Amino acid sequence: METATVILVLVVVVALSFDVTNGFHDTANAMATSIATGALKPTTAVALSGILNLVGAFLSVEVALTVTNAVVKIQDSDGSPKPELLQGGGSALLLIVLAGLVGAIAWNLLTWLLGLPSSSSHALFGGLIGATVAGLGWAGVNWNGDGTTIDGVVGKVVIPAVASPVLACVVATVGTWLVHRVVSGVSQRFTDQGFRWGQIGSASLVSLAHGTNDAQKTMGVITLGLIASGHWSDTGSVPFWVKAACALAIASGTYLGGWRIIRTLGKGLIEITPPQGMSAETSSGAVILISSHLGFALSTTHVTTGSVLGAGVGKPGATVRWRVAGRMVVAWVITIPAAGLVGALTWWIGHALGGGVAGALVISLLLLAFAVAVVRHSHESPVHADNVNDEWDATAGAERTPATV
Amino acid sequence: MTQTLVLVGDALWKILLAALVLGAGLPVLFSAGVRAMAFGAGGDAETDHAPGHPAGTVLAAVCFAVVVAAVALGITFIVAGGFGKALSFEHVYPTVVDQ
Repeated sequence: METATVILVLVVVVALSFDVTNGFHDTANAMATSIATGALKPTTAVALSGILNLVGAFLSVEVALTVTNAVVKIQDSDGSPKPELLQGGGSALLLIVLAGLVGAIAWNLLTWLLGLPSSSSHALFGGLIGATVAGLGWAGVNWNGDGTTIDGVVGKVVIPAVASPVLACVVATVGTWLVHRVVSGVSQRFTDQGFRWGQIGSASLVSLAHGTNDAQKTMGVITLGLIASGHWSDTGSVPFWVKAACALAIASGTYLGGWRIIRTLGKGLIEITPPQGMSAETSSGAVILISSHLGFALSTTHVTTGSVLGAGVGKPGATVRWRVAGRMVVAWVITIPAAGLVGALTWWIGHALGGGVAGALVISLLLLAFAVAVVRHSHESPVHADNVNDEWDATAGAERTPATV
Repeated sequence: MTQTLVLVGDALWKILLAALVLGAGLPVLFSAGVRAMAFGAGGDAETDHAPGHPAGTVLAAVCFAVVVAAVALGITFIVAGGFGKALSFEHVYPTVVDQ
């Protein structure tokens, strides 16, 4: 096999692995609140979310082949790779993509271990930015587009990251506050029963939207690799096997559950009730769908976290663990630089080893070793379907907060 | 940079308004349905244990029907987007059109 073909195979495998981490990192966004309130059994919730992600992924017909254009300049505006990166069967471009994916996965695994919800799209963008800076220099980064549209790192990453949690928080606060006004006087058992269904419905909508939004990023990246190495030429569509593989990868990742993150989002931020859960998920669903309709893609993770916080702020007498929220914000701020640093280091390692098959193999194996280490470490304090809803303060040492009145 | 901020600010206002209507409005409508249902059921459903009012059940059904219709619209919107179609409200009632 040619050098580029071997690297391409690695890119496909690593990209699909990223899709799996994307899935289990984001199960919490849709299902954490339903699991925390008992509206759905944990295993039922992840199965439902997985199926809806699968359906959603297949629905993404118009795939964003230009996904990397938001942050780096390795593609032309029609989706074809920059010609200067195609020498040697496209291995220069493939190495950048591979290193970027490694950075993204490393960050996703680390934040999963810490139970922190962080945006998988940001991890992907961060990894790609780092690898591009290492490979092409700072000029390879699309900082702000050409200024006529919302584009670049500033327009598509930084500003949305600041704005979306605030937006979702406001909507969920208003929703939760009004909901509690409306149902005052109704017995709690009755409201909890009724809102269960609202929760399940709104969470399902978020899962479906997630499948359509997130799976296509990996489809775009894999297809870019295929075009760069000359295995695909149509910039208007993706091969069916790419779509099917990505859909299966994100769905199986979702089904894995990412219980640590579900626990933080469902139990860590606030003690959530069914009315709050429904308000939070509806707010998330509305903000995600409306903003993507207006061509302003927001991170599902940032939106959901903002909504859950808002549900805590909006309910009279509820406690919000701001320390936990603070840890999340810190994670969000360092997502891009951290994934970028790993992406850049990975590119340098691959490049130092000749940038060919040896380099690509070594960085893939390094990633595998890191993944094994993280999973082993996670076994020291396992979180799974059976203990995901345990009392927060009883188990979390570092986040222990004084009992509130 | 300034131009980007203007564009983003413009988009954010629209998102905030629409999201408030849908994202906060639908839960409120749903909870109105729950409230009406409790009013209809009476007894232990309400904290004052008043007797049931059949009108409440009817009102609840109306509230839930609107919520279900809105969710159905949401799903249509996602699915239509996947097939390169869009929802149009030009005839007041929603229709699926080419993008």
